[in-house]
Amino acid sequence: MTDESSRTVISAKGLTRTYQLGDSEVIGISQIDLDIAAGELVVLKGNSGSGKSTLLSLLAGLDRPTGGELMVARHDLNHASDIQLTQFRRQVVGMVFQSFNLLPTLNALENVCLPALLAGKSLVETRPKAMELLRWLEIEDRLHHLPAQLSGGEMQRTAIARALINDPAIILADEPTGNLDSRNGQIVMDLLAELNRKWNRTVLIATHSTLADQMASVRMGLKDGMITSFA
Amino acid sequence: MKMLLFFLRLFIWFSLRNMRRHMGRAATVLFGIALGAAVFTSVRLSVNASLDSFSKSMDLIAGQADHVLTRPGGYVPENLMATLLNQEIMQSASPVMSTYTRVSQADAEPFLLIGFDPILDRPMRQWRVDDQSGQQGAAWLDLLKEPYTLILGKPLAHQLKLAPGDSLILEHARQKVRFKISGMLEPNGLALAESGRIAITDIATFQEFTGLFGKVDRIDLKLVSSATSKDLAAVEQLLPEGIQLNPPTATRESGQMMIRAYQLNLSILSFASLFVGMFLVYSLVALNAASRRHELAVLRATGASAYHIFFIFLAEGAFLGIVGWLVAIPLGHILIKYLLHGVSQTISTLFVRVQVDALSLSVYEIVFSFFVTVGISVLAAYQPAREAMQVPPKEALEISQLGMQARISPRQLAFGGLGCILLVVPLSKLPAILGMPLPGYLAIFLLFVGFALLAPWALVKISHILSSILLKRFGIPAYLAGRYVRDSGTRTAVSVGALITAVALFTALVIMIFSFRQTVAYWTYETIKGDLFLTSKMGQINRFRYPVPQPVIDHLQNYRSQVDLLPNRQFFLTYDKFPYVFELMDMQGYMQYASFFWLKGDPDKIRPMLKGGEGVVVSEVFSNRTGLSVGDFFEAQIEESYVKLQILGIVRDYRTQGGAVFYSLPHFNKRYHPVYWGGLRFFFKDRSQDLDAAVARLRTDIIDRLGDRVDMYSGKGLRGAVLRIFDETFAVTTVLLLIALLIAGLGIATTLSVLVLQRSRQLNTLFALGASFRQIRSMIFWEAAFLVVIGELAGVICGFILSYLLIYVVNRQSFGWTFIYAVDWDALLLSIPLIIITALAAALPAVKMVFRRPPATLLRER
Ligand SMILES: Nc1ncnc2c1ncn2[C@@H]1O[C@H](COP(=O)(O)OP(=O)(O)O)[C@@H](O)[C@H]1O
Ligand SMILES: [Mg+2]
Repeated sequence: MTDESSRTVISAKGLTRTYQLGDSEVIGISQIDLDIAAGELVVLKGNSGSGKSTLLSLLAGLDRPTGGELMVARHDLNHASDIQLTQFRRQVVGMVFQSFNLLPTLNALENVCLPALLAGKSLVETRPKAMELLRWLEIEDRLHHLPAQLSGGEMQRTAIARALINDPAIILADEPTGNLDSRNGQIVMDLLAELNRKWNRTVLIATHSTLADQMASVRMGLKDGMITSFA
Repeated sequence: MKMLLFFLRLFIWFSLRNMRRHMGRAATVLFGIALGAAVFTSVRLSVNASLDSFSKSMDLIAGQADHVLTRPGGYVPENLMATLLNQEIMQSASPVMSTYTRVSQADAEPFLLIGFDPILDRPMRQWRVDDQSGQQGAAWLDLLKEPYTLILGKPLAHQLKLAPGDSLILEHARQKVRFKISGMLEPNGLALAESGRIAITDIATFQEFTGLFGKVDRIDLKLVSSATSKDLAAVEQLLPEGIQLNPPTATRESGQMMIRAYQLNLSILSFASLFVGMFLVYSLVALNAASRRHELAVLRATGASAYHIFFIFLAEGAFLGIVGWLVAIPLGHILIKYLLHGVSQTISTLFVRVQVDALSLSVYEIVFSFFVTVGISVLAAYQPAREAMQVPPKEALEISQLGMQARISPRQLAFGGLGCILLVVPLSKLPAILGMPLPGYLAIFLLFVGFALLAPWALVKISHILSSILLKRFGIPAYLAGRYVRDSGTRTAVSVGALITAVALFTALVIMIFSFRQTVAYWTYETIKGDLFLTSKMGQINRFRYPVPQPVIDHLQNYRSQVDLLPNRQFFLTYDKFPYVFELMDMQGYMQYASFFWLKGDPDKIRPMLKGGEGVVVSEVFSNRTGLSVGDFFEAQIEESYVKLQILGIVRDYRTQGGAVFYSLPHFNKRYHPVYWGGLRFFFKDRSQDLDAAVARLRTDIIDRLGDRVDMYSGKGLRGAVLRIFDETFAVTTVLLLIALLIAGLGIATTLSVLVLQRSRQLNTLFALGASFRQIRSMIFWEAAFLVVIGELAGVICGFILSYLLIYVVNRQSFGWTFIYAVDWDALLLSIPLIIITALAAALPAVKMVFRRPPATLLRER
């Protein structure tokens, strides 16, 4: 294994995802070739419907490609079983969503702990780490609040803590600021950048806001499911 | 362990907290399932209590005997004892007699009097005289030394407020006699039979009391352990004609068999409540799975496996089952009080006399009811759990979704449903398995499933057909409601399925009970004819085993000028364990006033043959149970004669014991042997007079002349009693039925609320688009009306098919009888709109719920 290839955490060849809708075929993404090295901060831009979420869902192991090759952190995602995909989601990636997606019946702390518990850790060993994360994200006074009692910014920070609880190598964020005001949007983007810089995580952000433009190490443009720019 | 803890935590975080949020919904479902479980369990426990008490009594009375000598329909000569005791293989032998008797006072309850030889009986039965109540030993010696002494079971003594040394007057067929109480039985062994309402006396006293000199009911035998079947056969050789040697379990088994058949029927009926409860669990779990779809995707995206999700939802089902079962305990406690009495009453009148004073809680029944309740709840959760586990994790993302995934189409379901319904036809033709109508029950289950599967398709079709009419006549809310019901398809089908089941059950049982009652009423009216019936004292409860005393018969001859006297005699026998009654009667006289309720055979041809004693007619039940039909020969040992007679016809008969065979009394006397009269019926020759008054006059006259020596029933009273027993029997059924309907009502209430809640965004969007509260409420109301009316309609159709299955398959196979199909249109026409109104009332909470939260907040939620 060469030095170069070991630094590559995401590598796609001819990656395609199409959807069958009745008789017609809708293209999510088509023929994407991609190599992303560890430690990059990738910003993915494109209009609504251009395929950003589709690509992220493939990278996150939430969905399977219909064509092409996809290796993420040495996991061959188009030949993985359901169980392997679940394992992959637990260990390799952390997701941040546009609408936060906190579970409404769990309080902030519980939401953060959940992925660790699902991965088989005990609550006792998980709690301190979750508290630490929440302290770092400056929401330690909101631990026992349900999502409905949190503000948008607090919810998204909780979601970031949740994404980090299992120490994933890759953070994937789909429109993380889409449901936030600009101030909170800026805070979230700064946090993601900090994760990349200080903690050395590979971060992919799909967004059409300009907030992330300056911090990106790679800018990628998508249109109609295809890459239009990569720099 | 760690795994379990984690899973429990996940369940609490995810499911339990959600249920707590929607407490009302969960509580309704819990109540429904609890009610179902309570009904199911208490019915089984009640029948078991009767079964146990019966079996225990039989065992205690049978004692240690390993063989019993009896003569079917008659008595065993006592002098056989000498021969028996001479046999090498005979360890012990004890002659036994028993009869119901009672203290001579108004409305005294009968109790069982047992007569045996206290010495010979020692090795057979366990009984001890209470030390405190008399000097041990002396009391039972008194039985031998002093005539007319007896020992009472303690409960009986307490009920009668009597103690050793007191005396009491007992009455029986022949006479009233004063007995002296020499002691009380310790409450164990024989003393526990009939819940302690027994008394023992010496066999000589018993014979004198009943007039059965030299005869005994049976002789219990205990053989030495080395006895071979050859030895046994040798003993049988010594027995006079008609005396049979059997294991003592035979009578017990036939009684148990009947109670078990009854239990199965009631269990199935009560299971219907649980079945409807199952729909409730399904609808709640399915709602949770559907409405929390996005949360499921998030769970999956954050690392939950598909099996985590699957088990969470199975656990929801299990949780509802377990808590429901726990809630069922207090509910069942209340129900059982009512059922225990009703059920034992029914069993006593229909099958065998039982005395139930306590509930026997068997571990088996408790575990069984727990597993059935939890089992069906888990089963109900299975399908939603499968669907939940298939939610793709990708749905956690905001993907610009275009289409919807294809679900199973209503058409496919309808085909499945039709398949199920078609299967009913061949299943209903299959014979019973082990005497139980299992294929019939399976057919009923498939019928329900089939109709539930047809429901979505019917909803689509009907609302499609109706939509333009609705728009034109009832405006946009009705139109939108129709559209919604059409498109929601499978989602609403579950609650419609529950409604169909309950309505079908209701319709079918209304029809069945009505047909049954009409038929029985007709049968009663046609065949239980007679202006006055007379038997020896306590003749009925003692199955006419004691003759009408000769002085009574002599005196009755005086009335010959006004009345026709028709003597009869009944023998209670078994045919391969199946109990039936062989009835001898004056066919000539009978057919002059009454008629049989013919089912098979040409009445005009049969009547003269019956009068001529050329053969017998048998009841439908007898024919179904024994497989004997017209042209076959009925064969039986009756007292000392072996009877073989051709079956001329089959008649309907609904007497409590099931099977019946009828033959001419004078011809029996001529052909076989003379028999005494067990009872008589009177017909007034002058039919134009005031018969009620004439009966009353005759009755008083007989009492004036003979004293209180016989039991008499007016024909009118007897016919009324038959129908009253019938109604009492079905009271239990009616209660079960109402509970099933109640649970279905709960189902409607939950489903509609759920349908509203699921669409709060949509409804608010409608509101934003300019719909008024009124319009939206009216739309919800129309939806409810749609579901209810269609559910009801399908339910009634299903019910008609079901009633056919119940009458011609299930009843035939489990009781042996069928009825003349009759539909109680009055009851149906009255109750169906009532159910619709009730179901619509159940929709009210949903209608009210629409705008409980301000519309604006709903728009923001997802
Ligand atoms: N489940 C699906 N069925 C059909 N088409 C889909 C599905 N998911 C996404 N698409 C289509 O794929 C394309 C890309 O969508 P998406 O990845 O959500 O874009 P973006 O996130 O950039 O807005 C769109 O045209 C969308 O309609
Ligand atoms: Mg998107």
